[in-house]
Amino acid sequence: MKPARFDYLQATSVTEAVGALAAAEGEAKILAGGQSLVPLMALRMGRPSLVVDVNRIPGLGGMAIADGVVRIGALTRHSALSEQRAHPLLAEAARWIGHQAIRSRGTVGGSIAHADPSAELPVVATALDAVALVANPAGRRRIPAADLFAGPFETTLGHDEMIIALDFPVPRRWGFAELSRRHGDFGLVTVAAAEIDGRVRIAVGGVGGVPYRAVDAEARLADVELTPAAFDEAARLTASGIDPADDLHATAAYRRAMTAEHTRRALLRLRERPEGVPA
Amino acid sequence: MTISTLPGDTPEEGGAVGTTVRRKEDGRLVTGHGRYVSDLRLPGMRQVAFLRSPYGHARLRRIDASAARTADGVDGVFTGDSAEIAAVGLRALSALPSYIETEQPVLARAKVRFAGEAVAAVVAGDRYQAEDAIELIDVDYEPLPATVCAWAEPEVPVHDEAPDNVLLQRTFEAGDVPETMAGAYLVLERELVTNRHAGNPMECRAGVALWDYADNRLTFWSGTQVPHLARNMLAELVGLPEGNVRVIAPDVGGGFGTKAVLYPEDVALCLMARAMRGVPLKWVEDRSEHLLAATHARDHRYLMRAGFAEDGRLLALEADVTCNVGAYSVYPWTAGIEPLMAGGLLTGPYRLGHYRCTVRGVATNTSPSGPYRGVARPASVFAMETVLDEAAHELGMDAVDIRRRNLITVGDVPYRMPTRLIDESGRYGECLDKVLDSIGYDGFRAEQARRREAGENPIGVGFACYNELTGLGRAAAAGPRMAFRTGHDACTVRINPDGRVTVLSGVTSQGQGLETTIAQVVADAVGVAYDDVDVRIGDTTESLWGFGAFSSRQAVIGGGAAHRAGEAVRGRVLALAAALFEVEEAKLKLEAGRVHIIGVRDELATLAELARVAYLESNRLPDGFEPGLEATRFYDPIRGAFAAGVQAAIVEVDRATGEMAILRWACVEDTGRVINPQIVHGQVAGAIVQGIGGALYEHLVYDEAGNLTTGTLMDYLMPTSAEIPELDIGHIEVPADNPLGVRGVGEGGTLGPNAVLAGAVADALGVRISRLPITPAVVWEAVQ
Repeated sequence: MKPARFDYLQATSVTEAVGALAAAEGEAKILAGGQSLVPLMALRMGRPSLVVDVNRIPGLGGMAIADGVVRIGALTRHSALSEQRAHPLLAEAARWIGHQAIRSRGTVGGSIAHADPSAELPVVATALDAVALVANPAGRRRIPAADLFAGPFETTLGHDEMIIALDFPVPRRWGFAELSRRHGDFGLVTVAAAEIDGRVRIAVGGVGGVPYRAVDAEARLADVELTPAAFDEAARLTASGIDPADDLHATAAYRRAMTAEHTRRALLRLRERPEGVPA
Repeated sequence: MTISTLPGDTPEEGGAVGTTVRRKEDGRLVTGHGRYVSDLRLPGMRQVAFLRSPYGHARLRRIDASAARTADGVDGVFTGDSAEIAAVGLRALSALPSYIETEQPVLARAKVRFAGEAVAAVVAGDRYQAEDAIELIDVDYEPLPATVCAWAEPEVPVHDEAPDNVLLQRTFEAGDVPETMAGAYLVLERELVTNRHAGNPMECRAGVALWDYADNRLTFWSGTQVPHLARNMLAELVGLPEGNVRVIAPDVGGGFGTKAVLYPEDVALCLMARAMRGVPLKWVEDRSEHLLAATHARDHRYLMRAGFAEDGRLLALEADVTCNVGAYSVYPWTAGIEPLMAGGLLTGPYRLGHYRCTVRGVATNTSPSGPYRGVARPASVFAMETVLDEAAHELGMDAVDIRRRNLITVGDVPYRMPTRLIDESGRYGECLDKVLDSIGYDGFRAEQARRREAGENPIGVGFACYNELTGLGRAAAAGPRMAFRTGHDACTVRINPDGRVTVLSGVTSQGQGLETTIAQVVADAVGVAYDDVDVRIGDTTESLWGFGAFSSRQAVIGGGAAHRAGEAVRGRVLALAAALFEVEEAKLKLEAGRVHIIGVRDELATLAELARVAYLESNRLPDGFEPGLEATRFYDPIRGAFAAGVQAAIVEVDRATGEMAILRWACVEDTGRVINPQIVHGQVAGAIVQGIGGALYEHLVYDEAGNLTTGTLMDYLMPTSAEIPELDIGHIEVPADNPLGVRGVGEGGTLGPNAVLAGAVADALGVRISRLPITPAVVWEAVQ
């Protein structure tokens, strides 16, 4: 479990980092918290020729709130995310990520860019229609979550691009429910429900190649009273919209049933949670 | 000399045994100063990496290592056909008539038999270079159909010698099963399948081999549980006089049986060291290698047929047990280790006259199975307890009552089990009483009914009663009639010229505190302070002999040897004092390092003064008294010490998700006399945790092509402290028939959780649990 040979660059600016990414023509990987990249390299499943360490780039951490949107620097660690109070849903989701040691290193930008279909933050980003702020040698652009996740561990980021921050709208009410084998594991099923602008949005992780946005269920909940019966129906619609596969830890049928159950739970939590009170 | 009487002057007073003394090893272990093989650095040392087969079963047509040989930093490349390697094969021996002997190559030759089998080894300046070079080795494999299930027909046998893959089969038989079964009120038939585990010690396997350039000596630092056995086997395999081989097991980061095996990688390191004399070669197994290629365990199927009387008495048991023993008969324990233990102990602590059980060890294209904490019994206890639970259900009895009806009682002991083992504990009823009290069984059934009626999440209770056979002597020794019998250990107790004590014990420790345990025993046996005893273990040049850590044997056997050697030395000290001071020896005692006349407070002499005479002032030695104060003694308990054990738990099940919450867990074992309460508690707790992990989380899965699909700890799930409930651990202390009165406690805890959790889920939901592990998905599917 020793990585193959690679070059290492400690970038000191975003410009330097994206320049190095561009020059490597797709053979480079960004090292942020390293919680996924380093094990993959140790297993030699990841073999970048260049590792661009962005940890020393100033200005990539920190959080700011404006107009109901929290902007989170890409280098923000999960532990900081779990402790902040500006965005309670993100704080709750962050607490479900791994263990303390992992949260101390892992970063928000890294988790989004890694695009693990079972990871918590891509699910929340999908539910909230978060937007990634991306730098490349030509400048900057914004990628909405719906356009960002392309498949398991795949994004639409160019090989010369890096996420520098994410904009997460703050929901009025929210619910989060995850089923994992053990405390700290990736979720078998992760559901985030959030109410923004009077509309409930639902995203599910762990049940497909990218987080699933339950548009049918959302439509069912639009402009109706949020009752348990409506939630049951939304949960059913969510479960029927996914196409999970059998794997080591769960059958497709189980995942589908758990999607319904955890959608219901997330929605009930949304309804039970008083407005404006952090988790 | 003033004479005064010492109040409460008894031999036990102030003894170290029975107290939680500060552990000798903790000074280094808890401050990060342990000395593990993984830490060892020697001048000029080179690192080894193994190329492992990506196929479960394939012919090896050609290996081209030419590019690897010239890669950066590479000092050597070895394959199964390298002359140094090809000359040696591992053949686990057994005199059992049905046993088919097969050979395990040091590096694969002609074909590979499991995914992960070592095919080649690279020696390089560092591990990175070694792993780089491994990728340059070009192997031409011709894939063969793989067999991963031990109860499936093989297309191509794993070994030509065994066309049906059966390496060993034996039938245990007692009484008349067919006739008794015919007369039974209830006959139950069940098929139960258990899951495949890895030992997963914190420190994976590790070794450093150095073959001295000039004097033809081999030193092997190894994280082994069995250094003396390893030396004996290595000397024979490499053709050296045994005295020229030294095996050193320094601090070892866990073992759990996995490291009681001599592995092909160990032998490869030593053979490569011979080819590269004077160069220390180091291999540290990584976690991927451990999951792939260290021994596995517990991949079993039990076909049970049990006959009961109307009152719940178990009348007859017929069983057919198939154990997946993997690709090779594990060296030196053989393919019999799991099947024979399963058949020998299946009936557990229950009275039974009519028993017929056929066990077989079947080779497959999976990593070899070997000894793992609890050996087979976590599986066999699950099979037995499940049958009892279902019989209780069929007969309308309570789960506790059917157990009480059948448990061996104090009045029955010594009880001769149908497999002729002698159970001398018998305290199952007492353990069960305490466990029931601990979990609050009295109020449980009412609460269970209340929840049922209220539509709340159901709760259930599960039980396991087991007899852990510990400290096996020569008449009960572990293993299937191998070329050696594992009954005894040796210990040398030496009083140094300064009066302090050095112990050279044959035991080994993988974290379970044997330095402390042995020091406690010797301190009391000699009559010195615990702090004045230093225990050396793990180096074959220091201790005379010890079989090592397995079968929960070391406190019983190594402790017995330490006690005997300590008493012998005390005898020498008292004899010397008696002669020097012209006092009758029987009137003297040695306590806290001072010899005095019994009943007299002031000492005649300190041990330091006497030791000085023994070593430095031979002019004062009595006539005929041999200088020095040392004794070496062996101990063999001949039979073993059964440790009665009962566990129970109450669980709550979420019907919607199949998730389980463990609300209560209790375990009571007959530990015999406790040497160190904290260590015993830690052993029992750790074993239960390992058992819970095995029941709920841990599962090695091969696909049909023979690929291990659980190759990292992301997929092979081990329990963390977050998954473990509070454990209420109690003991009863019935002295066993050995010098210290102790019973082994290392493994018993692992025996219960499979049965307890399966029983609890079944009780909560009214479903059958026939397969392990019990995952939320399995539970959910059972209630659909």
